[in-house]
Amino acid sequence: MRLKVALRHAFADFTLDATFEAPPGITVLFGRSGSGKTTIVNAVAGLLTPDAGRIAAGDWVLLDTERGTRLPPHRRRLGYIFQEGRLFPHLTVRQNLTYGAWFAPKDAPREDMGKVVDLLGIGHLLERRPGALSGGEKQRIAIGRALLSAPRLILADEPLAALDEARKSEILPYFERLRDEVSVPILYVSHSASEVARLATSVVALEGGRIVAQGTAAEVLGDPAVLPAGAREAGALLIATVVSHHHDGLTELDAGGAPLFLPRIALAPGTVVRVRIAAHDVILSRTRPEGLSALNILSGTVKEVRPGEGPGAIVALDTYAGRLLARITRRSADALGLGPGVAAHAIVKTVSVAPTDIGGGIRRAAPVSPNEPGR
Amino acid sequence: MDWLGPEEWRAVTLSLQVSFWATLVSLPIGVFVAYALARWSFPGKQLLNGLVHLPLILPPVVTGYLLLLTFGTRGPVGSVLAEFGIVFAFRWTGAALAAGVMAFPLMVRAIRLSIEAVDPKLEQASSTLGASPLWVFLTVTLPMTLPGIVAGAILAFAKAMGEFGATITFVSNIPGQTRTIPSAIYAFLQVPGGESSAMKLVIVSVVVAMGALLLSEIVGRRVAARVGGQ
Amino acid sequence: MFKPALSRATVLAVAAPAMALADDITVFAAASMTNAMAEIEERFEAATGHDLVVSLAGSSALARQIQQGAPADVYISANPGWMDTLEADGLVDEGTRFDLLSNSVVLIAAGANAAPVEIRPDMDLAGLLGDGRLAMALVDSVPAGIYGKAALESLGLWGDVAAQVAQADNVRAALAFVAIGEAPYGIVYATDVVAEDKVSVVDTFPADTHPPIVYPAAALAESDNPLNHTFLEFLSSLEAREAFERQGFVVVPR
Repeated sequence: MRLKVALRHAFADFTLDATFEAPPGITVLFGRSGSGKTTIVNAVAGLLTPDAGRIAAGDWVLLDTERGTRLPPHRRRLGYIFQEGRLFPHLTVRQNLTYGAWFAPKDAPREDMGKVVDLLGIGHLLERRPGALSGGEKQRIAIGRALLSAPRLILADEPLAALDEARKSEILPYFERLRDEVSVPILYVSHSASEVARLATSVVALEGGRIVAQGTAAEVLGDPAVLPAGAREAGALLIATVVSHHHDGLTELDAGGAPLFLPRIALAPGTVVRVRIAAHDVILSRTRPEGLSALNILSGTVKEVRPGEGPGAIVALDTYAGRLLARITRRSADALGLGPGVAAHAIVKTVSVAPTDIGGGIRRAAPVSPNEPGR
Repeated sequence: MDWLGPEEWRAVTLSLQVSFWATLVSLPIGVFVAYALARWSFPGKQLLNGLVHLPLILPPVVTGYLLLLTFGTRGPVGSVLAEFGIVFAFRWTGAALAAGVMAFPLMVRAIRLSIEAVDPKLEQASSTLGASPLWVFLTVTLPMTLPGIVAGAILAFAKAMGEFGATITFVSNIPGQTRTIPSAIYAFLQVPGGESSAMKLVIVSVVVAMGALLLSEIVGRRVAARVGGQ
Repeated sequence: MFKPALSRATVLAVAAPAMALADDITVFAAASMTNAMAEIEERFEAATGHDLVVSLAGSSALARQIQQGAPADVYISANPGWMDTLEADGLVDEGTRFDLLSNSVVLIAAGANAAPVEIRPDMDLAGLLGDGRLAMALVDSVPAGIYGKAALESLGLWGDVAAQVAQADNVRAALAFVAIGEAPYGIVYATDVVAEDKVSVVDTFPADTHPPIVYPAAALAESDNPLNHTFLEFLSSLEAREAFERQGFVVVPR
């Protein structure tokens, strides 16, 4: 079931105008604060009525301003995971989890509570009250609560933004599981490129209220023209397969035929993973360098050089492993004579890839971008 | 009880009856009005707020007189209600009405504060999970407002027990019907030698008031802890 | 019984500066004299140029206040009993007490043209009341209530109607209940009816059914207001007499 959204809403300083479709899986609304992402999600939830728009989940129309249809939030059968959790303090965890199920129609397909509790690892918290729990525990319960309300659609508004790095890496895998094991489409708001890299089945990039790019994560992240969260967040997505684990703590992967060395990943050989390489961690060279400490040297062809407003520039390089983005100075780009069609090598330090940049265990093969060379 | 004579005892039981019913009946109305003032906006909202607080500001005798004009058997509301057999004039029901009206502003204030302290984001979350506005109120707002409701009810009960001016002006002083503890104290004080009876009732009043305050503290704290998620 | 000296002293200490400067006099008077005192106040102020402050309430309430040290200069009670009590407490200025007015109690009915009924020992007062109430002032403490109860007792009617009596704070409040129509009948002073046109007198209680209704007036011992003598004299003047008689009071010859 696909979610179709078309809406327009005028704010004081900009107008939000967005039309997109969200296939099953996680669709990330990606952009800076104030780009309109939360507005879109709140419009889908019914907490906000846009000036004009049509929102439908499959055949089921949630909003049609032309026809005057508007379902109130409580009839939209969605599960909303908020940034701050918003668990009910006067109920136990168990009661919080089953809250939504109580209001769902009798014939709605329901998730099994035991299965969800196991999926989220919250079995030992069921009789507690939310008051004394940690941020990470609260968010997992919030996810469970949304899931168990038998939703047709799940909405998540920057659910990890209020957590520290350790908690984020703890919870990201749960969202990955959600994406892979639950058949309900998920609309997920984020300003973090690494969350996009890890979680997104498809991405809608927003800037100033307009959609600047739509597509798979690899496509959108690999497009140097699209930096909705700013140049610092730029980084392309590689799809690689785990080959073997070496005894000195490195894992070797196969990225489009080229070897890729990363710090030890706890996944079995044969598992397909997504790897995000931050643009500022990529060094470029015209010639193949010797005697460097970096283990990953990928050769490719420059697709595009995009100068930024400051001294920087983003270079898009197509390699056998996939599209890579490198953020270097304009001076160097000029000095090396980089331009479309020029051959170059990309150097990536193994240790620069953080565990959160590695999305584990995709059960379904990721959609292959038609732009990927060599495959 | 030997210590209290039959007259005094009658005043005590009447006061308890009047205050109990005044609090019980005005509670749902108080919750509704508090919710409306806290969460809705509508034309005339400030007017409603002013009306609710009027008994707090007007001299009790004036409130009593207005009740007499409105709810007496010749009054616009009283005459209609009399058709249905509901009579306030010179009856304990009138004393309960006077006590309820005088206690109402205190009750509404306490409950309204409590409702306003409920995070509207939780109510939003509740509605995204499928709860209609009524169910949001019943399952989220109301349970979380409970400490305020308890406090408001006990405050109202205590005020009702002490209500005098409006009562005596509206329904006069009739032993067994409208001679509540304060009216009885007043009447006893007027008679030379009535001081000892008056003092006994004063002691009863103080004990009841202190008991109510202590109870409201204990219950309020317990309920707040439960609601706060401990 | 009570030692009001300390509280009185405190009250006076606070009020003294004001009292020393102003030419005024504070009179506590029974509620049944409300209309009469309004006219007396006007006339006294016009005649002497001094300011008259009047506090009106049930005689019992006023007496209690005086016992507790209220800063009154003159007290006019609706029955001798309360004046006796104050005298026993030493609160009355010796030699200033005299009987000022006389009154009678009447049975009134709601409405301007109620049918007259004769007050007799064999009258069916309970039947007359039906479901309704008989409005009276507090029967144990307020003079109008005390006289009314005494009259009903001596006529042998009290037992029949006691349960139906609605006791009001003071006689004017009892009057109001009947004027509004809430109580079909009431017992008030003859003087109360004079100004009220929503009630009518059904009959007057014979004078022998109750102790004589006498309104004593006196200056209070704790008051050293030089105007007390002036005011008490004024109460016996022709002007004052006219005012009282206009309200239906009988002035006791001095």
